[in-house]
Amino acid sequence: MLSIENLSVAIRRPGREVAALSDVTLAVRPGEVVGLVGESGGGKSMVARAVVGLLPGGSHATGRVVFDDADVLRMDESALSAHRGRGVAICFQNPRGALSPTRTVGRQLVDRLVTHQDMSAERAREAARELFESVGIRSPQRRLDAYPHELSGGMAQRVMISLATGCAPGLLIADEPTTGLDVTLTREILRQFRHAADTDGRAVLLISHDLASIAQVCDRVVVLYAGTVVESGPAAQVLRQPAHPYTRALLRSVPDLGGRPVVATPGAMPLLTRAPLACPFAARCAHADDTCATRRPPTEPLAGGPDGWSLACFHPRTGPLDAGPGDAPPGSGGPVGSVGTVGSAVVAAAAPVSEAADPAPRGAGPAVLEIDDAHVVYRSRFSSGGHHALRGVSLRLAPGETLGVVGESGCGKSTLAKLIMGLVPPTSGTVTVAGHRAAPGRGRPSGRAARRLRTRAQLVFQDPIGSLSPRRTVGDSIAEPLRAAGLPAAERDARVAAVLDRMELDRAILRRYPHELSGGQAQRIGIARALVGEPDLIVFDEPTSALDVTVQAQILDLIADVAADAERAAVFISHDLATVRGFADRVVVLYLGRVVEEGPVDVVFDHPLHPYTRALLASAPRLGGTPPADAAPVELVKDLEEADAATGCPLAARCPFVTDTCRTQPQQLQSHGASQAACWRIPELPALIGKQATTP
Amino acid sequence: MRILRFVARRLLQLIPVLLGVIVLTFLLVRVLPGDPVRTILGQNATEADAAAARARFGLDQPLWRQFLDYLTGLVTGDFGTSIQSGAPVGAEMALRVGPTLELVVIAVTIALVVATVLGVWSARRAERPADHGIRVLALVGNSVPEFWLGLVLVLVGYSVLGWFPAPNGRVDPDTGLTPLTGADLVDAVLTGNGPAIASAAAYLVLPVLTLVIGVVAPLLRSVRASALEVLHSEPYAAAAAHGLPRRTLLYGYLMRATLVRLPSLAALVFGTAIGSTVLVEYVFSWQGFGQWALRGLLYRDYPVVQASVLVIALCYVLVFLIADVVHAILDPRVRI
Repeated sequence: MLSIENLSVAIRRPGREVAALSDVTLAVRPGEVVGLVGESGGGKSMVARAVVGLLPGGSHATGRVVFDDADVLRMDESALSAHRGRGVAICFQNPRGALSPTRTVGRQLVDRLVTHQDMSAERAREAARELFESVGIRSPQRRLDAYPHELSGGMAQRVMISLATGCAPGLLIADEPTTGLDVTLTREILRQFRHAADTDGRAVLLISHDLASIAQVCDRVVVLYAGTVVESGPAAQVLRQPAHPYTRALLRSVPDLGGRPVVATPGAMPLLTRAPLACPFAARCAHADDTCATRRPPTEPLAGGPDGWSLACFHPRTGPLDAGPGDAPPGSGGPVGSVGTVGSAVVAAAAPVSEAADPAPRGAGPAVLEIDDAHVVYRSRFSSGGHHALRGVSLRLAPGETLGVVGESGCGKSTLAKLIMGLVPPTSGTVTVAGHRAAPGRGRPSGRAARRLRTRAQLVFQDPIGSLSPRRTVGDSIAEPLRAAGLPAAERDARVAAVLDRMELDRAILRRYPHELSGGQAQRIGIARALVGEPDLIVFDEPTSALDVTVQAQILDLIADVAADAERAAVFISHDLATVRGFADRVVVLYLGRVVEEGPVDVVFDHPLHPYTRALLASAPRLGGTPPADAAPVELVKDLEEADAATGCPLAARCPFVTDTCRTQPQQLQSHGASQAACWRIPELPALIGKQATTP
Repeated sequence: MRILRFVARRLLQLIPVLLGVIVLTFLLVRVLPGDPVRTILGQNATEADAAAARARFGLDQPLWRQFLDYLTGLVTGDFGTSIQSGAPVGAEMALRVGPTLELVVIAVTIALVVATVLGVWSARRAERPADHGIRVLALVGNSVPEFWLGLVLVLVGYSVLGWFPAPNGRVDPDTGLTPLTGADLVDAVLTGNGPAIASAAAYLVLPVLTLVIGVVAPLLRSVRASALEVLHSEPYAAAAAHGLPRRTLLYGYLMRATLVRLPSLAALVFGTAIGSTVLVEYVFSWQGFGQWALRGLLYRDYPVVQASVLVIALCYVLVFLIADVVHAILDPRVRI
């Protein structure tokens, strides 16, 4: 159906030349789902643009993009407009931004149906309703008249899928369809694409940076690096035994639920100005030799591999991913687990820390953070009522301890971070950070006491570049907490230099401005700024979710190192369960402002109790084999936005095991072995889940 | 329903705004140097004559007393008596507001339509000769002073071509038009006076054209800029990538998104246009509101100045209210 042959795209603009794609060859057949994987800058979106004939200005394309026997690159305007939509339809990244804000989503869908399926307006509206229903939009009739800004992220993504399928395309392209969605939703959305391929026989090209999560629904995957195809082959095999060092690096960078250590790959993707003459990955590759640096490896079928598995590497790897330290770059030299070398420091920090923390009896000694039955209500501005963001959260954190906080978006994670930082006052309950107590009050805490409190707790933000002042140099930004504390200049410089060394950054970076930094560098600066004042508590608010996969691994590596400091406590907030497992001692699962489960990280992950935790774990991608027997999967029945926590268990609306007791009785945390969970049916759950599995 | 509530709320807010305007203008015109009584009495008047005249207009009273009288008059719809003409201000103004509003409303409406059509057309041909041509023309029209432009149009349209009537009024007196609202075209239509419709329309062409050329440039630039923004936006690119036909793209995805920002600018332009009418009315002998207000200010005719400022303020507030409502209708994201 789609066959791209030796496609090269060069973008030439005054003063700037970029080889976006070099000799890309790939094919997608009807009914097949192909995953296109790589980090940002790898050329994924450029492939999508080339396929619909929407290359950016100043680009020069060579090669062939053959779709149904016609070359898209040589189509005239009328052929192109027939090709777009009917031939190929894209599901755009960021669906909320890609839907027209001034037209109801129903009309946008009707436009596509009328154009591409020759329907009358009334017939199209009926079909639109059916299409909405088929992509899992509840009360579709009502949603037809909604404007995009009235939709949640997951709903907007479904609408986007319905728009693309409404064009009845031969090929459906999805550009990062699950970015920014929660784990439970991600699975559901990916299933939609598999469905489109299986039932309608469409070809589907799934573009993503996350190989692990899309591999489940793909037939084949194609891995892009710096505009070149480095590996392509059957999804299951590539996922299990990737042969190209980059694919392996990509997979090892993703933290895994099974607790497999993350291996960071040094360096970043090069920005090529012309088609590469050598292997573009050679500079970051542990197996590179002189050949790799002088010749570009040809794309060849993998010897002994199944059909259609090919890669561009002189030194293909074999064997499963967890081959052990043999894969570590020889250059790093240091022993495994050595912190301080970006090389391939294995994040094994969790083990020693938990050993160190376990003997110390919890509850003894002064707690760094103590939250007691805290509620936060955001009052609405004019009317009564408001949004109840946290409903009675109690936490206790000792020095040296690292707490992971996980949950879907809207569960109150960020409010918890703000509460700890004293940026919102508790509506009721108390928060004590390093001995400073914040009690319920009106407005934001301010004044001297609040300022002192803030020097004891520091926050690392989600958006690394956006959280640095664009008009201040990096050095200025890092030294800011010290200046606020009134330290003399000489000592400031020494402390900044020390923290910079710890973040493995060069001194030259001090004079730069945030826009000159890469995402990884900026996040190192963000951590440095938090660390420089030597706070008692550091709160990481989704510190890696805006970063590329291999960079994320490097940052996680650093965070694990920082979190392992004995005198410091850390709170790590993430929607991605696997990142927490790497180095947290304890984990808290939040749902609609309530703690539903809490316990030691390994216990929660291997023996989850609460149905919600089970569902989260079940829907997260897992590379290393099957989940433990105790963690039998639970599927939630509805989306988060339709759930409403009125009385009783907050999960009642979505839980498959709900009874009337759940709907009426509020659930308290109760101890079950090492961890606590707020669900009265926990003892019967294994039996219930078994029954659910046999009678689907 | 929401919009009605919003309008009601905004109309209530009108009261304090107008009250402020009333107080401010009342004080400001009295602070201005110059004595209105002297201007009507002439050179040979004695102090006694002046005192008598002052008493006649109530100007001998203390300031707070004058203000209270003025305010009670306003409540009953009495704007006071013009010092210059001795006629009631309300009646004088009623004759003057109509013609000017007719001029400005027609001109701004035409300017909006022209700006929308040309702006979108120009944006779709961005950086091509047609686009540059339109922008240069708009800029030239915007740079030419209105009174001069009016004179040139009179010269071309009346003296050379002879297509339009001489700039000596608003309607041919021979058509026997019965004035109702003061806006001659509206009156002619209301009375069904055929010849008067033709005459009033013919008289309107040149002054309206002058105003349109004066105000169209900023509107055009704004429409072009927002249309370009929409054309380069993600939603439009997405719709185009789904292969929607040209017409659907233009009317469904470009137009409304482009026009979202226009109402607030249009309201501002409306205000500018009211100001511009002073000169345009002068050139075309348009016996309108601008002329009348200007003369009142020159002769320190307190009641006239107060009334005209009040009416202009009311116009502004109402026009901005309309603009906000239109904006809310165009942009579903706006909450009112």
